[in-house]
Amino acid sequence: MRKFLTPKGMIGVVMVSLIALIGILAPLLLDPAMATKMHMTARLQAPSAAHWLGTDQLGRDLLTRVLMGARTSLEIAVAAVLISVVLGLPLGMISGYAGGRVDNVLMRLVDTLLAFPALLLALTISAVLGPNIQNTTIAIGVAFTPYLARIIRGEALRVAQMPYVEAARAAGTTNAAMLVRHILPNILPVVIVQATISLAFAILAEAGLSFLGLGTQPPNASWGLMIQASRDYLEKAPWTGLVPGAAVALTVLGLNMFGDVLRDVLDPRAK
Amino acid sequence: MTYVLNRLLSLILTLFLISLITFAVTNILPGDVAMMIMGTQSNPAALAGLRESLGLNDPLLVQYWHWISGMLTGDWGTSLIFKKPIAELLGQKMMASALIVVMSMAFALAAAVPLGVWAAVHRDKWQDTASSTTSLLGVSLPDFFWGIVLILVFARWLGWLPSSGYKDPSEDFLGALRHALLPAFALGLGLMAHLTRMTRSTMTGILGQEFIRVARAKGLSEATVVWRYGLANAVGPVITVAGLQIGYLFGSIIVMESLFNFTGMGWLTYQALLNRDVPLIQATIFVIAAVVMIVNLIVDLLYLVIDPRIRLG
Repeated sequence: MRKFLTPKGMIGVVMVSLIALIGILAPLLLDPAMATKMHMTARLQAPSAAHWLGTDQLGRDLLTRVLMGARTSLEIAVAAVLISVVLGLPLGMISGYAGGRVDNVLMRLVDTLLAFPALLLALTISAVLGPNIQNTTIAIGVAFTPYLARIIRGEALRVAQMPYVEAARAAGTTNAAMLVRHILPNILPVVIVQATISLAFAILAEAGLSFLGLGTQPPNASWGLMIQASRDYLEKAPWTGLVPGAAVALTVLGLNMFGDVLRDVLDPRAK
Repeated sequence: MTYVLNRLLSLILTLFLISLITFAVTNILPGDVAMMIMGTQSNPAALAGLRESLGLNDPLLVQYWHWISGMLTGDWGTSLIFKKPIAELLGQKMMASALIVVMSMAFALAAAVPLGVWAAVHRDKWQDTASSTTSLLGVSLPDFFWGIVLILVFARWLGWLPSSGYKDPSEDFLGALRHALLPAFALGLGLMAHLTRMTRSTMTGILGQEFIRVARAKGLSEATVVWRYGLANAVGPVITVAGLQIGYLFGSIIVMESLFNFTGMGWLTYQALLNRDVPLIQATIFVIAAVVMIVNLIVDLLYLVIDPRIRLG
């Protein structure tokens, strides 16, 4: 616990909690319609008392949009990481625990998938399924699965060689019971650390996909979409791009700091 | 030698699997190639005829065989949107992308290695904090955001560099460099941050080892200890990680080239995906994955040359 009390740990925890709170509370406290309501007379206004962070090219309040965007980004990122854990955990665990031919075949498949850049894989899947929030989530989740499976497999392999696993096997524990009772609890710390770091990447991936128009679709508020829309107005109204850019940066920064400290606390391999 | 042969054999197997996955994924795409060519308003009889002549009614396995044998013999088909032979198109675009990929990698390594070593040498001092804070910021901002900021500063405000477009280096070398500079720099920033963190952690581990203490005890200068003894041992891992980042770079160029209108592989892939140009999607995805695999293999073999300790079998 002491490691959470370092400046980096504290900042990470505070940032992640704040962003999570915003994601949960924003749609309850703010009127969601505000995020999509256009005011053609109030286009590209600089930050003021009426609009704290200014307005975008359609006169929409940027503060509302960026807060609502937090919900979109977090929802997609959390669900995508969950998908990759649900797919990657059994894949990696069975591969590492079974070893031999099973491991060879599964890891050959995973290595092949790793040859496709994650963003390319996510973009292709999203294009194939048709871009919307649900398919973007699936695309990112599937694209991240091989990375997670690889790491979990290594960890399962390490744990499978522990004396207590051998002892359990000698005591007649079945394979299924072994995986659930002995392997899973012992690789869980690494899974949690990796999932946290994946969240940061998922936020970046969602922003990238939406930026290219193959992710979240307008009029939904998404940070990537907001950055995309700001491209033509950056000179006149730099805040339209800087606000969502800063939102992505702060969220990913918080998650990375949190993930780093979490690794120090949980990961047995970290010194 | 056996190791190299084994790796080559496994590369061929992986390339085969890559081709299977590519073909499978792109075949789920709704709409078909015949419709793409003739438009949605076309005569159903003509459409059926074209489908037949394109082999779209054949079983999937037969279609796969046609595709993969074409890829192997250099007949990569014709792009539906560009109306050009795909092999020729990919050749040009690959060269364009190679320019920014190599430039960004060179830039990232040139900055990351000294910065990482500097942080490791001054471990837990302000230099370390400064370096790790900068690199944390670097990995946290999406690279397209860097791209936009760079366009704003260097193209719009200062007017030093063009904000978009691509020039062929064989026609206008200086112009090509000027056009490639901003996208390469934006790509390199995130990469640099990642490699700095990696260099720092590797060097920290090395500098704590026994042989470094011995070198210092012998009275060697600190510079010799750090750069000749320390860095020599860090080069292998750093190069391996840099090589693995090629995959990341080929993902990032899709966004970056579209942002800078830099007509390379990434831009081409994006156009293919947006317009559902199936033959082009298949070829670009396959080629990118193959390049990533081959670069990884080269890096692994390079590792053998650099570090004599791990010449396996």
